[in-house]
Amino acid sequence: MFEIILKETKDFLRDRSNVFFFLIFPVLLVFLLGNLLSNLDKAEEAIGEVKIHYMVEAENVVDIMTIEGFVSEVSDEQNIFFDKTTDLEASKDNVENGNIASIVVFTGNPLEIQIYEGIDRIKNRTINSIINGFSQVNKAVNVIIKSNPMSIMDSMNSKASNDVFIKQKDLGIQRTMLDYYAITMISMLSFMCIMLGTMCFMGERQNNTIYRLKIAPINQVKLFLAKILGLLPQVVLQMTILMTVSVLVFGAKYSSNMFDNLYLFFMFLVVTFTVILIGAVIGLFVKKNPSVITFPIIWVMMFLSGTYSKEVFIDGVTQKMPIYQIQEAAFDLVIFGRYDRVNTVIIICSSISLIMLIIGAIGFSRRGEQ
Amino acid sequence: MPYIIVDNLVKKYGELTAVDHISFTVEKGEIFGLLGPNGAGKSTTLNVITTLTDFDKGEVIIDGMDIRRDKSSIKQLIGMVPQDIAIYDHLNAFENVKFFASLYGLRGNKLIQNSKEALEFVGLSDKMKLQPKKMSGGMKRRLNIACGIAHNPQLIVMDEPTVGVDTQSREHILNSIKLLRDRGATVIYTSHYMQEVEEICDRIAIIDKGKMIACGTEPELVSMVTDVMSVYVETKIPIGFDRDAFCRKIKLMPGIKGIKLEDSVIRVDISIDQNSIERIIQEVINYELPINNIKSEVPNLDTLFLTLTGRELR
Repeated sequence: MFEIILKETKDFLRDRSNVFFFLIFPVLLVFLLGNLLSNLDKAEEAIGEVKIHYMVEAENVVDIMTIEGFVSEVSDEQNIFFDKTTDLEASKDNVENGNIASIVVFTGNPLEIQIYEGIDRIKNRTINSIINGFSQVNKAVNVIIKSNPMSIMDSMNSKASNDVFIKQKDLGIQRTMLDYYAITMISMLSFMCIMLGTMCFMGERQNNTIYRLKIAPINQVKLFLAKILGLLPQVVLQMTILMTVSVLVFGAKYSSNMFDNLYLFFMFLVVTFTVILIGAVIGLFVKKNPSVITFPIIWVMMFLSGTYSKEVFIDGVTQKMPIYQIQEAAFDLVIFGRYDRVNTVIIICSSISLIMLIIGAIGFSRRGEQ
Repeated sequence: MPYIIVDNLVKKYGELTAVDHISFTVEKGEIFGLLGPNGAGKSTTLNVITTLTDFDKGEVIIDGMDIRRDKSSIKQLIGMVPQDIAIYDHLNAFENVKFFASLYGLRGNKLIQNSKEALEFVGLSDKMKLQPKKMSGGMKRRLNIACGIAHNPQLIVMDEPTVGVDTQSREHILNSIKLLRDRGATVIYTSHYMQEVEEICDRIAIIDKGKMIACGTEPELVSMVTDVMSVYVETKIPIGFDRDAFCRKIKLMPGIKGIKLEDSVIRVDISIDQNSIERIIQEVINYELPINNIKSEVPNLDTLFLTLTGRELR
């Protein structure tokens, strides 16, 4: 088995087209997408001081402690100032006069957040972003109440503003497009590995070496598994290069926590293994260039999942894309440190892998070559 | 007991019967040739023997083991040299041989030693570090052989190993095969080159359209057509010459077994007891074809094939 894994690695690394396609291309994409598009995300004007009044009406002790902890953590001495208030009406006057940016009221059980927005669009967006982060962590319900009369009219006339706010994929606090693409490019790399899977046996067929493998006195199930495992060192190498280069060279951020980064790496490794297995099974049964079938499907799925642009979100379609779910799980981990979705991805992928392994091994051992 | 027994082998691909009730035996230490034109069923027969393809009917016994029951034990005995070159372009010669030998359980020094010996055997010991993409066609063919023999198999199955190689490499390959036989290996060799099969095979089976039409040593096979001789008329056939009409006319003559027209040679196989040479020459003259030379030849496998099937081997 070791010999097969070694052979696969050598075969891969000595093929220049592979090196470009799987190692250099994703890194270039992170660089290009991250740098070019991050300019679109840059503020055109300074945010300045953001003064926020907050009011705690929540009664649950845990909620209160969470709110106070959050406020104290988010408040900094540079431009974000949270001041506690007990007089909502007086604070509303301050919002209308532009003395403060907005009022945030934490109320209800389960926790609900009401934001009384001011007239400054940029500051409103900043506050929304901060509170959105908090609400995602604590699963609170956001209710935006605009103090700006025009905004109130907009809110009343259009349901879209709330929808957009709730459904928009947030980059999290202090995160850039580069960070977004660093994650989606790993995801892209993972799914592009379907080509490795489909080519795995097709390559042997093209080289005619499949005959030698099939008549060799080794267990065919073991051989199938070894062929697949032989692709993993390449995947580990690709992802390591992608993550390292995007962090060290381009300054992308994953999680601040090393364990979470390793866990993210592990999740993508499991995903890639599954994708390779699916590709290998397809390649086993579709003998004439299976990439022609698989690649367009993957590219469309990646497009619909917002892999190439975070602005792509088609309600009812995007959420159904496995790639989107995997990306969301990754964002959940690196932004909020949550493991639930990542664990779900790992479990589902492991189950699919097991099924594919069984189908592939049986198919490979029973299928004759003509 | 013969080393290999193939009994009433049938292999179908849908409606096509690729191998149709073929039976033969191969003795240990023998080079057994399967001769036939393209699509005759040679490769399919080999694929069955090498366990690559399942079969529909019949029985295949190798070294006393049934191929269906003892597949893995039989695999251990076999070394395969496929018709198409089966090597990895990005591994060098030594790595290729070593990898395929490792599939047969060879490890450590034994693996390295055997791989080097196999390359030396095919005359590539000085090209160990060379990648196949930088090799000539003949060198690739030799590497293809080395990959099939490095694990010292008892049975070596070679499917047209000399296709597309230069004369020098062909000679090297044929000598290597004889050497393998001398070392004790049993070789099954397929080709559609009659001369090769005549040169190296101890016994020959002739296959056509999935059926075996003759089997034996070369003298035994040729003796089947001792009443036939080949007449070659060297000429120049002009463009627009009605070949079909000419062939039909010749075939109507008594004792004609077969006729073949090339650009400058007319070959006619005729019964010795009904010598029609004069009439053939007369017909050539009637058709106003120039006669540059005339010669006759004793029968060979090509004559046999033409006699039995009415077609040429190639």
